[in-house]
Parts: sequence; structure tokens; C-alpha cells
Amino acid sequence: MSRFPHSLWAPPGHRAASWRRRLAGGAAAFALWALAFGGAVALDHHVDLANQAMLFVTASVLASIWLGAPVSFAFALMCMLSLNWGFVPPRGSFTVDLERHAVLLGAMLLVSWLIVGLVWRLRAQAAAARDAACWAARLQVVGEALRDSADPSAQAQPIAEALAALGGRPAALMLLHDELPPADLAEMALWHGEVSDDERAGLWLCLRQSQPFGPGTGRHGEQPAWYLPLRSRGASHGAALVRLANPESANDADRARAQALCDLLGLSLQRAALARQTEAARELAQTQGVRNALLASISHDYRTPLAVILGAASSLQTQGERLSVVQRERLAQQIVDEVEQLSRMTDNTLQLARLDAPGVALRLDWESAEEIVGTALAHARRRDPQRRLHGRLEPNLPLLRCDALLLSQLLDNLVDNALKYSEGPVELVARLQAPGEASGWPQVVMSVRDRGVGIAPAERRRVFEVFQRGDAAPTTRGAGVGLAVCRAIARAHGGELKLRARAHGGSSFELWLPVVPVPAHEGSRA
Amino acid sequence: MIRVLLVEDDRDLRGTLRDALALEGYEVSTAASLSEGLALWTHARPAPDLVLLDLGLPDGDGETLLATLRRRDATPVLVISARQADGQKIRLLDAGADDYLVKPFSIAELLARLRVALRHRGTATLPAQTRYEAGGLVVDLAAHRVSLGGDTVHLTPTEFKLLARLVRSAGQVVTHRQLLSDVWGDEFTEHTHYLRLYMGQLRAKLEADPADPQLLLTEPGVGYRLLD
Repeated sequence: MSRFPHSLWAPPGHRAASWRRRLAGGAAAFALWALAFGGAVALDHHVDLANQAMLFVTASVLASIWLGAPVSFAFALMCMLSLNWGFVPPRGSFTVDLERHAVLLGAMLLVSWLIVGLVWRLRAQAAAARDAACWAARLQVVGEALRDSADPSAQAQPIAEALAALGGRPAALMLLHDELPPADLAEMALWHGEVSDDERAGLWLCLRQSQPFGPGTGRHGEQPAWYLPLRSRGASHGAALVRLANPESANDADRARAQALCDLLGLSLQRAALARQTEAARELAQTQGVRNALLASISHDYRTPLAVILGAASSLQTQGERLSVVQRERLAQQIVDEVEQLSRMTDNTLQLARLDAPGVALRLDWESAEEIVGTALAHARRRDPQRRLHGRLEPNLPLLRCDALLLSQLLDNLVDNALKYSEGPVELVARLQAPGEASGWPQVVMSVRDRGVGIAPAERRRVFEVFQRGDAAPTTRGAGVGLAVCRAIARAHGGELKLRARAHGGSSFELWLPVVPVPAHEGSRA
Repeated sequence: MIRVLLVEDDRDLRGTLRDALALEGYEVSTAASLSEGLALWTHARPAPDLVLLDLGLPDGDGETLLATLRRRDATPVLVISARQADGQKIRLLDAGADDYLVKPFSIAELLARLRVALRHRGTATLPAQTRYEAGGLVVDLAAHRVSLGGDTVHLTPTEFKLLARLVRSAGQVVTHRQLLSDVWGDEFTEHTHYLRLYMGQLRAKLEADPADPQLLLTEPGVGYRLLD
């Protein structure tokens, strides 16, 4: 439902009856008259004149059902005259001999006209009721279209068409983008239809005062158009220019209808504006939430390494000479270790904040899964003196379209966690998942698997949220934003990070990445 | 004595690095800004043998200094970058910087990179390194021969060109763009997928475990480095 034929929107009176209908009505009326005249001839000398008169009255009442009011009055007059000519003595003339016959003819015409008048009024009322019902149905259709549309301004076109049908000339609409701007700047509104400078000024005035102008409104009645505000509760969200084909004959009913349409649009615009504000508030709240979590993470996770560093450094500073070489080396090593930990946490926190920002751009390139796994193995080596980490790759994995630094960071975090929260071997496995139930295209799955205590079912969802740590490891520190940033990285690549409990204990963190076809390897094969 | 020009705006880091380098026997001159670094570079006689260039300088882009340096000679330049400056770091490497260090880094790492960069000093004018030996791998560029643990390894011409390019810069990072441009040609600098495929083939032939390479090292998002 986006367009209305103009005729559907035409108000009563504007709608022209077709000549075909008029002709049919005229023919039926003539047939009725002929029937009445024939009846009167057939009954002549059997009944008195009053009964013959009743035949003509009946005919004119019946005819008034099809004919317009003026024609019906004329038809009633014709019926009276044909009675007079055909049956009132002296017959064959319009003169009347007897006084009682004149009274009869007068009463007959009066009764006919009275009934015709009543029928006509009844018909007008019925037509108006029909029209009102029609109008209500159409308003409902527009209302539904507006309600279903996320952007009410998309419905401006059908509403402008409806207003044009009411006014008889092209209408124009001005819709505000957002709140009422301090100055009448054309670019602050959405314009629908051509408007002159004067009309534009009129629309702004109408909008700012939230008052209609134009014929019949008591304000600027000399204008050849109605200026109607698009009102909602407490404010206007635009204005409509309804140009009038006949400003003199403009009526209040049409204006009320135009205003109803405008208000419908105004309410929808207000609703859309509220929805936008709600969304903005929600986003702000979310950003605040992430920021609060980051701050909590920083204040919690950074304190411990900082305490260790300060302790070790100040000990070296004040007790340096009294410490043995071994002690000094141990303190220095602590400082180095903690700084590396801090550095990793800083990278994670910054990355999470960056990925959380809207419109983040990744440095995508063709990367080999082998290299990404190899980098993670190389990075882990220093933190894994017992060589618990092993890599395993399915041969001939496709190239990945990804940001290598981000994926390295993701795998580093997962490997770090696995080494930290579990004893025993840790596996880093990359394999290809054929298209199937999980998704319609192939995916590369990189998993980091451990044989640790695992993660309780209730924790599995929360573990990816910022600043969560399993109860199983209350004394271990440092994973505050680690898994959250891993998931953010996976999702930024159109992939997902999943946690699966392993059959014989332990966890498997799985990065699922969609495989993108590599461009053709044109020539250069050596 | 080897002269090092250190351009770093953080006073503490500058002091620490200066002391550490001096302790290793380098003669260090320091600059806190790009303009100061440029002035020191222009007027210092004799000119520094190596430049340590921090990217986050208050008065401008490290690229300007690198361009000035490169117009004169091939003095090695080591870029010090924060992690967020990835794009700029790669641009500088492509523009001729010799290597990079990401903050925070250890003094041991800095000294190792410094030694590699100094060893390559002057390779533009002197005959390039033609022989490489590490972890059982022997590459003889002049004889076009590669062997692993004494056995000859057969490489395709492209694989050999790729390995040769890394051998010439052994120990230093070579960016994707440099490799693609030198091995395939300037019009192929965006075809990273070629590089991935051939590097995979090279590793399959030269590494004991291609998934855990010990010789052909990956610098994620930047390039490759052949073990020094």
C-alpha cells in the first residue's frame, strides 16, 4: 500500500456522476412517467381524479430515488402539469375550471416536493455516511502503512497525493529531520514537492506556530492554500502545503480531513523520532557498560602486576646492595614478567575498545592458517618451557581473508588461558569444516583444547563477557578482557568463537571462520 | 666506535636506551623531536652509523626523516613503534627502514636487531651476502644451490628467488610488498596470496614442522624474517 488513485481520495461533491448513469436515470424516470400516465388513462372514468393524482405522486417519489434534487423537483412539476393537461377538466389545456381541482393540484405538487425533498436529504445523509466510512477506512490504511514503516517520511508521497486530491492541485510537504532547528534552514528538513520561497516561509511559520493558515482557518484567509502543521503531542514535526483549486469554495470538512492526514503523519514522525532517541540512548548505555567493564578490568587486573613491579623495583632500589645476585635477578625477572603481562592486557583492552567502536576497519589480507598457527606456537614458546603446547594442522587448508595481527592476538589469548588454567597438554588444531548443518559455506575451525577442570555449564556463556573469570580459578589473574576481545575479533571477521566441553574433561575454544574464495591465481606458476 | 642517533620523545625511555647502548660501547646522540633529529643528522660529522627512530614524535612524521636519510645513503634505520601504528610502521619498512621494534621491547631484543642492521650496513654498495647457513640449511646464492642437512633441496625458480630475497636480508624483516615486488614484479604487490602459497611450499621443503617454522619466521601483518 503506497499509492492511492486520486479519485479514491476525492471528497463528496467533487465526485462527478457519469453521463451514462444520468442517462439511465432519465430513461427510468421517463418510463415511470409513461407508466403513471398510462395507468391514469386506463383508470380514467373508473376512479376519481384524486386517485389518478396519487399515481403521479408515486411516480415522482420513485423517480427522485434516481434523479438529482433539481431534476426531481422538475419531474414532480411535470407530473402535476400532465395530470392537469390530461385529466383535469377542461382536458387538453392547463386551465382549471373547478376550485377544488386547483386545490388538489396544489396539494399534489406540495406533497410531491415535500417527499422529494425528504428523499433527497436522506440520500445526501446516506452518501455522507458512506463517504465518511470510506474515508475512515482509507485513513486506517494510511495509518497502518505509517505504523509498519520504520521511516514515516517514506509515506510522504501517498499522503502528498491524498492532500493534492483534497485541494485539487499539487501539494507539498516539509518533514523535519529531527528536532526543530533554531533557524529556518532548508537543509534541516526533508522537502516533498516544489515550493516557492513565500510558500517555504509560510510552511516554516506554520510549523513554528503549530497553527493552520489559509481559507476558513481565520488566519491568512486570503492565501490560495492551506498551511497545515503535522502535529503530534506537544509539537509539530513538519508542515503541509495544500494548494486549493477553488479557494472560495474551500470547506471545513475537507480541511478537517487534510488536517487528520497531516496529524497522522505528525504522530508517526514523532514516534520515529522517539524510536531513534531510544536507540541512541540504548547504544550510549551499552558503550557506558563496556567502558565501565573496561575500567573495572583495568583497576582490578592492573593493580596486581603493578604491585609486583613496584615491590620488586623498590626492593632493588633500596635494598639492592644487600641482596644476593640471585635475589636481584629474581626481582628483575619478576619485573620483566609482569610488564609483559601488563603489555598483553593493555593490548587486549585497547583492542576491545577499538573493536567495540562503530565502523572499525580491519586490515584484511590473504593469510595462511599454517602461518597463523605457527605464530601462535612461536609466541607461546617462551611462556611454555615444558612444551605442553602442540600444533596440529589439516593439510591443504584454504587461505583465510583476515587481519593476521588480530587473529594472532586471539590465538595468543586462548593459548595463554589454556596454559594458565590447565595442567597437561594443550592442543592447537586447525581443520576445515565442510558446509553442512552449521552453515552453508565451508569454515576453517581453529581450536585450542585443554584437559583442565573445564567450565561449568552456567559459566559457559558468561565467560565471553568482559571481566569474567571462572570460579575454578579464583586466585589466577589476568583473563579479564581476554575472552571478550577474542569473541570481538572473531565476530569482526564474520566468524564466531565457541566454547565446547570436551568428552573426557577440559575445554575446547573454537574459532569458526568463513572461507572466502581466493582470487584466481593467474599465471606465475613456477 | 659505532655512532647511533636515537630519536625518541619520551625522556625516560630515551635515557634508558642511551645508557644501555652506551654500556654496549655505542656512541649515542639523542634527539627528542623530528626537527632535532634532522638537525643532528645533517650537522653531525661524522654521520651516525645507525638511526633509532620512534614513530610517535611530537612534531611530525618519521617518514620525512627517513626520506631525507634515504636521499643521502643507506644508513640503517630501526623503527620503534607503538602497536597502534601498524600502518605507518609498514609504510616506513617499505620506504626503506631496516627493521622495527614494537613497544614495549627488551634491551636484549634491541641489541640483537641493532647487530643485524649494522651487519647489513652498506649492502647497497658492497657485494651482497651470498651464503647463508643456519639450522642445517645452507644456501649458496652464487652457485644457486640449497641443501638441508647435507642433502640437496630442489626448489622451483620462484621458490629460489623468494628464499634468495630473504637470505639477502637474513635476520631482518622483509615486508610482503618488498617480497612481492622483488620476486614477482611491481604489478604484483597486492597479490599476497601468491606469497602465502610459495612460502607454504618453501616451508614444506625446508622446515621439519612447517606449522612450527624455525627458519622462515612469520611477522604477522608485516612480512617474513629468515632466522639470523
